[in-house]
Amino acid sequence: EDALLPTPQNISILSTNMKHFLSWSPVIVQGETVRYSVEFQGEYERDYANESWIPICECSLITATVCNITEDISATVAYNLRVRADVGTRRSEWGTMKGFFNRITTSLTPPLMKVIADGYHLLVELEDMGPAFQFCVLYWKKGQESRVQQKVVKEVSSVVHLDTMEAGPDYCVKAQTYVEAINRSSSFSQTQCVRAQGGTSMWL
Amino acid sequence: YGVGKWIRKPECRNINRTWCDLSSETSDYEEQYYASVKAFLNGMCSDWIETTRFNPLTDTKIDPPMVSVSSTEKSISIILTAPEKWKRSPEGESISLLQVYPGLQYNVSVLNKKTKKRWWFSISNTTLVVPWLEPGTAYCVSAQIRVTTPLLHSGFSKEYCIATLKDSVTF
Amino acid sequence: TAGNRIFHFGHCRVSMSMTEIRLGFTAIKANIQARDPIRTLSILSHPHSLHKVKSSDGCCITHHLFNFYVDKVFKHCKTEDSFINRKISSIANSFLSMKRKLRQCHEQNKCMCEEESTEKFKQILANYEGLNVTSAAIKSLGELDILLDWME
Repeated sequence: EDALLPTPQNISILSTNMKHFLSWSPVIVQGETVRYSVEFQGEYERDYANESWIPICECSLITATVCNITEDISATVAYNLRVRADVGTRRSEWGTMKGFFNRITTSLTPPLMKVIADGYHLLVELEDMGPAFQFCVLYWKKGQESRVQQKVVKEVSSVVHLDTMEAGPDYCVKAQTYVEAINRSSSFSQTQCVRAQGGTSMWL
Repeated sequence: YGVGKWIRKPECRNINRTWCDLSSETSDYEEQYYASVKAFLNGMCSDWIETTRFNPLTDTKIDPPMVSVSSTEKSISIILTAPEKWKRSPEGESISLLQVYPGLQYNVSVLNKKTKKRWWFSISNTTLVVPWLEPGTAYCVSAQIRVTTPLLHSGFSKEYCIATLKDSVTF
Repeated sequence: TAGNRIFHFGHCRVSMSMTEIRLGFTAIKANIQARDPIRTLSILSHPHSLHKVKSSDGCCITHHLFNFYVDKVFKHCKTEDSFINRKISSIANSFLSMKRKLRQCHEQNKCMCEEESTEKFKQILANYEGLNVTSAAIKSLGELDILLDWME
């Protein structure tokens, strides 16, 4: 009877900005190509569907040791993940990730942001981070940090108009992302300041 | 859907066109509908063929808003008007899409024709004034409707261009 | 695509995001509804339309319907299509999140069930039990947009 393949080990998830990647250590079999399959189980499957598992077909019999599970981790509940190895007719036991994964733990990075002064207009260009993201943009006149104004940008469409500026003072801007599905925000980006200069752009 | 009786459409009997206006029959957007049609020729007729289930609230196309633009020396004013819901007769009560989709918003783009720079605004009300512009400069405005729940959006309106008035100060 | 909204069901205020459920349902709507051949019966909208529910009854009906979908519907909707099954899992797990949020109102007695809403929900169950379980589950899943439209 064929010797059982070793179970995949070190199964873990790297989750950044709501993109979730499952990875594991390779199973080494000399001279053979090992293939892997991944399945997930949400809280619903555990508690209401006889602890059933659902295969991720994009990660069925793959040779890579990483799988993008973002599409399937689409609710804010605790998920289980497991991986199995195959070589020809030989198959390993399922290796199950230790502990659950809940997307609420994803790490959120500050958005890439570029502040532009176009004449008397204060504009901001934000990185498109996907449909799950909104941006909270704060701006104020330098020296008047107590009178901060806020604009929520729900959709990134290149250059977003924030406000008009008076000639002379510097205007400072910083932004953070907000993910309403998990009700969490990133830390703020670096502050950038610009100044209205007639019709020309001016950086400080 | 769910009621159990098919309603005939007299205006679409024995027609040779390939469309039929069912706006009246599907005007209650709290209901869902099926429609079916069959063909016949010289006494022979086909089976009835049905549509998929139609949900007027989510399975409809949203037209862009109407855009009107005016300008002063250093600003432009934009007024947006959302399309109206279909009504039985011109005298009928007008219902704006805003009443059907409370989460309705507008994305507005303003293009400076001289610098070719485009700015974006996202607003909920129907007016937008962009001050502190360059005199004697052409700006082109286009707008789109976006609804967040359910997820719907119109295409962009055509561009409406207008020039700010020339600088009235002369030495 | 912000869809996080504060839902007001009488005294119960809950912040929920429907966007992902909407996206999930939109992805499977045509497929699921095509599996339901019965035009003459609706689980959710006849004889009583959800839109006729008083706002004070909103929380109770919503609470019952979340439980209905989680306990009765999703588990009988398994298909031969992996994509459909994954989307149903996504919707089902999102329902669990929402069910948990609504439970807070239930525990704070802000989700009172009056006779009218109890009757309405009984009618929904009667509609459901009038069909065999798979047909009833598939029809209920195909009517999810009726629930979402009413909630929003």
